[in-house]
Amino acid sequence: MTDTALRPESKTGTPARPRRSKVERVRSRPAQLALNILQRTWLIVVVFAVWWIATADSTNVFIPSLESILTSLFRDLSNGVIASGAAYSLGNLAAGLLIAVAVGIVGGLILGETKRLREIVDPVIHFFRSVPQAALVPLIIGAFGIGQGPKIYTIAFACMWPVLLNTIDGVLGVEPTIRKFSKVYRIPRGLHFRKVVLPAALPQIVAGVRVALPIGITVMVVSELFAANKGLGFYILNSSATFMVPETWAGALLVGVIGYILSLLFIVLERRILGWYFKSGAK
Amino acid sequence: MAIQAALEEEQVATTPLLQVQGLTMSYGVGDSENKILSDLNLEVNDGEFVSIVGPSGVGKTTLLRCLSGLIQPRSGTVSVGGETINGPHRDLAVVFQDYSRSLMPWMTTLENVAFPLQGRGVGKKERNETAENNLAAVGLAGQGHKYPWEMSGGMQQRVAIARALAYNAKVLLMDEPFASVDAQTRFDLEDLVIDLQASLGVTIILVTHDIDEALYLADKVIVLAEKPATVVDVIETGFGDHRDQVETKADPRFAEARARILHRLRDH
Repeated sequence: MTDTALRPESKTGTPARPRRSKVERVRSRPAQLALNILQRTWLIVVVFAVWWIATADSTNVFIPSLESILTSLFRDLSNGVIASGAAYSLGNLAAGLLIAVAVGIVGGLILGETKRLREIVDPVIHFFRSVPQAALVPLIIGAFGIGQGPKIYTIAFACMWPVLLNTIDGVLGVEPTIRKFSKVYRIPRGLHFRKVVLPAALPQIVAGVRVALPIGITVMVVSELFAANKGLGFYILNSSATFMVPETWAGALLVGVIGYILSLLFIVLERRILGWYFKSGAK
Repeated sequence: MAIQAALEEEQVATTPLLQVQGLTMSYGVGDSENKILSDLNLEVNDGEFVSIVGPSGVGKTTLLRCLSGLIQPRSGTVSVGGETINGPHRDLAVVFQDYSRSLMPWMTTLENVAFPLQGRGVGKKERNETAENNLAAVGLAGQGHKYPWEMSGGMQQRVAIARALAYNAKVLLMDEPFASVDAQTRFDLEDLVIDLQASLGVTIILVTHDIDEALYLADKVIVLAEKPATVVDVIETGFGDHRDQVETKADPRFAEARARILHRLRDH
């Protein structure tokens, strides 16, 4: 593609693949970086500015000014009220996601490779994934108790479905010629799973985990709205119950920020473990 | 006793390395049964280069899948070294037509070549050494760190050939291996395979729809035709070990054999 620079979309400065474009490469790196950051952040800055101005003189109890929300947020962040709760919540999220990913991948690999089993289990999977996961939270906590365990299981249960389904899809999508290769060269089953099927399905699996992440954050918060005495969800519920409205908003805002940061970290992780996938141009 | 032993030795020496007897294959049953191969017999001797040629859709790929043990024939047998196969066999390696799909993009070329050896339990150092040597044999010395998608089509097919060689099977099955590369690359790869066969003494069965390619490469050309497919002719080319893209193809025997195959295919 020597004529990239001549293509119309390059002239606008927003080519489909900014990193490969010649036009982009001509700019100095710091300038490019600044432009990228600006491109990604301008909207969020505008939203917060509008929010700040629109709520500055708010007299509505339920819509406090952004200033008061941020004040409570930074106060509770610095005095440790939120920090310990956030650590507890994120610990649950991490544990729940880990279980979901492990069970989802192993289950998905087995189901993807065994047609008969898949046909039997398929209706059950689609039933459970359609059940609103947040609605199950009180039931699971009622059944298994109010400790940390049931909260982790709830997150794991909710996050497992996208990972499981995507893993099955990924396994079914393994290139037939590669399957033939594995058969003809008599690759043992264990090695076939680890080095052929798993890497081939990995792009799909990672996409499943990406879907699971926000589900996990939602269920994490919801699980702390019931029978909890700490965590971000508890902070939100507790402040709302005691009419500390700015704190309620602050808690919700913080969950959003955490979600955003986690998704950014996930992109870094994705680039790391799927290096071949992005570089080969498969995506 | 001595005569008995001598006779047995002779028996061993003349037993073909690969033998197909009464091979019949069809898909579907009853009224919808689609017969692909019918009572097909062929023999390949140790160290021989055999081309199987026939028009597209005649059943060449089905035959190759039977030979590689990927599918079980309805009746008849395939045997290697006197042993009837009932699935993929240690002594059979396959080079697939579509190199871009048969190499694994998440592995470097060295890992791709070494991987079947890992499956056999060969230690890391040894299998990497073997892979490196075989990459060198196909003209890719020192390229093992590259990924398949960083290479041209011809180079990728070289990697696939190196992988088959590293597996060290007695018989190499090649399914239209040069069908997806340009003409010049194709000639290079053809000559590479001839050289490899001469230097390593491996037995090769190559399936192609290209009559010229079949003749140029092989010691023996097996012509498939009819529906369901069966062997309609076997031609010994007699060109010897030395082949040249220009000279060999200008040889009167080449033209004669070519005409004979074309007649065979037209008659059926």
